[in-house]
Amino acid sequence: MKKLISLIINGNERSVEVEARTTLLDLVREQFGLTGAKLGCDIQVCGACTLLVDDKPVSACSMLALDADGCAIETVEGLSSKDKLHPLQEAFMEFGALQCGYCTSGFILTAKALLAECPQPTETQIRDYLAGNFCRCGCYQEIVQAVRNLASGVRSKE
Amino acid sequence: MIVLVIRVRSEASTITSDEHELQIMKNFDYLEPKTVAEACALLKQHGGEAKVFAGGAHLTILMKQGLLEPKTLVNIKKIPELKGIRFDADEGLTVGALVTHRELETSALVHEKFPVLCEAEREVANIRVRNMGTVGGNLASGEPLTDLAQIFIALDGKVKISGPNGQRTMAVEELFLDFYTTSLAEDEILTQVVLPPQPPRSGIDYIRFSSSSVVDKPAAGVAVRVSLNADATVGTARIVLGCVGATPVRARKAESLLTGKKITPELAQEAGTIAAQECTPTSDLRGSELYKRAIVKTLVRRAALKAHERALQN
Repeated sequence: MKKLISLIINGNERSVEVEARTTLLDLVREQFGLTGAKLGCDIQVCGACTLLVDDKPVSACSMLALDADGCAIETVEGLSSKDKLHPLQEAFMEFGALQCGYCTSGFILTAKALLAECPQPTETQIRDYLAGNFCRCGCYQEIVQAVRNLASGVRSKE
Repeated sequence: MIVLVIRVRSEASTITSDEHELQIMKNFDYLEPKTVAEACALLKQHGGEAKVFAGGAHLTILMKQGLLEPKTLVNIKKIPELKGIRFDADEGLTVGALVTHRELETSALVHEKFPVLCEAEREVANIRVRNMGTVGGNLASGEPLTDLAQIFIALDGKVKISGPNGQRTMAVEELFLDFYTTSLAEDEILTQVVLPPQPPRSGIDYIRFSSSSVVDKPAAGVAVRVSLNADATVGTARIVLGCVGATPVRARKAESLLTGKKITPELAQEAGTIAAQECTPTSDLRGSELYKRAIVKTLVRRAALKAHERALQN
C-alpha cells in the first residue's frame, strides 16, 4: 500500500508517495538524500536519528513517514544558509563538541529545540534535555559547554 | 508471556545491508478514522489483524523486530475527542488518551492538580519518547517497565474504554492482566484516564529507580498515597509496586499495616519490608530478584514518609 503525503522539509513543501512501513528516517535519508540524521540503536534510545517534527525532537527511526503527513520537518541540513553555519554549529566547532560526528546532528537539533523552548537554560536543564542523546566519543562536557555558552551569549545580546 | 529481546547495536557503523533488512517492517494498511465510533468499527471489521496506532513509540519497535505483524494499523491520532486535559471539581482530572508524556509533564493544570505526574514524567525515557508516546498508548501497551500506571492506581484512577457496543469504565488496576496483556478487547479503545479529586489531607509520592543510565527503563517504580483522618492516622493507603512483576501490583498487606495508624519512620520501614514480599521481580540486566526486592523495600519506606509529609501539609 502506497500513500501520498505532503510535508515541509527544511521549509520546502514536498509531496511524496510512501509505503506504509517507511520510517521518517528512511524517507529523509533515502528519498530526500538528507543523511545528517543517522540510524543508531533503532529503538529510540540513542538519539542519532533525531529530527524536529513541528519543532519537537522525535526519533525518526521509529516514526512512520505517514504519521508525518502535514508536518514541518527540520533536519540538520536546514540549519545553515549558504556559507553561514547556524550558531549552534559554530558553537559545537568552537568547543570541539564532536569527534566522529555520528551523534552531532541529533545533538544539535535537540539543543535547538531546547533553546527555542527555553532560551536561557540552566546547566541542569541542558543536561536533562540532552540526556537522551548518546555520544560514544564522550564529548558530553564539550557539548554542554557549547550549548551553555551559546545560551549565555544570547542573553548578553538581549 | 512474551519475552522481548531488545537488540541494542553498539556499533551502528558496521551494520550491513542484510542486517538492516531485518529491521524493516512488513507492510500494512493504514487507516485514519475521524471518530472513536469509526475507529472501533474498523477494529471490529478487521478482527485481531488490526492494531491501534497512537504515537507509535511502542508499536513501531515491536513491528521492526517482527514481534508484531499487524495487517492494518488504525491511526487514532486525528480523533479530536481523544485529546486534551481538563479538570472538573466533581469528576477530577481527565486526561485524553492522545495526551503525550511531554504534554502531561508541562501542563499547568496537571502541575496544579497532580504535580506528582509532572515530576514523574520528567524522568520518563527521553525527550523524544515523551514527545511521541501517549498516555493511552503507555497503558494500552501493557508494558510492565513503565511509570504512569503505578501513580494512576495509587490515585484510584479509572480508564474509560469505548467499543462497538458503547462505553465502559474500569479501575486502572483492573486493566492489566499479564506482560503486555490488558483487558482491552481487540475492538476497544482506551479513550481517557480519569483521576478523581483526592480526599483532604492526601499526599502522594512516586519514586522510580534506574539501575543503569537515567534514561533507562526503571528497575522498580513505587507509588505511595496516603489520605489521613482528622487525627492524622491513615484513612486510606495505596502502595503500588511497578516493574517488579507482570503488571503493577498493590501491596495490600503493607497498605493494611499503615491503615489506622500514624506513620512513623519505623512503620514505614516495616511497610517496606512487607511490600518487598508482595511482588514478583525477575532477575535481568536491571538487577537480580533479591536486589529489586531490596530496592522496593527502600522505595516504599521513602515514598511513604514523603507522602505522609505531603498529606500533613494539605
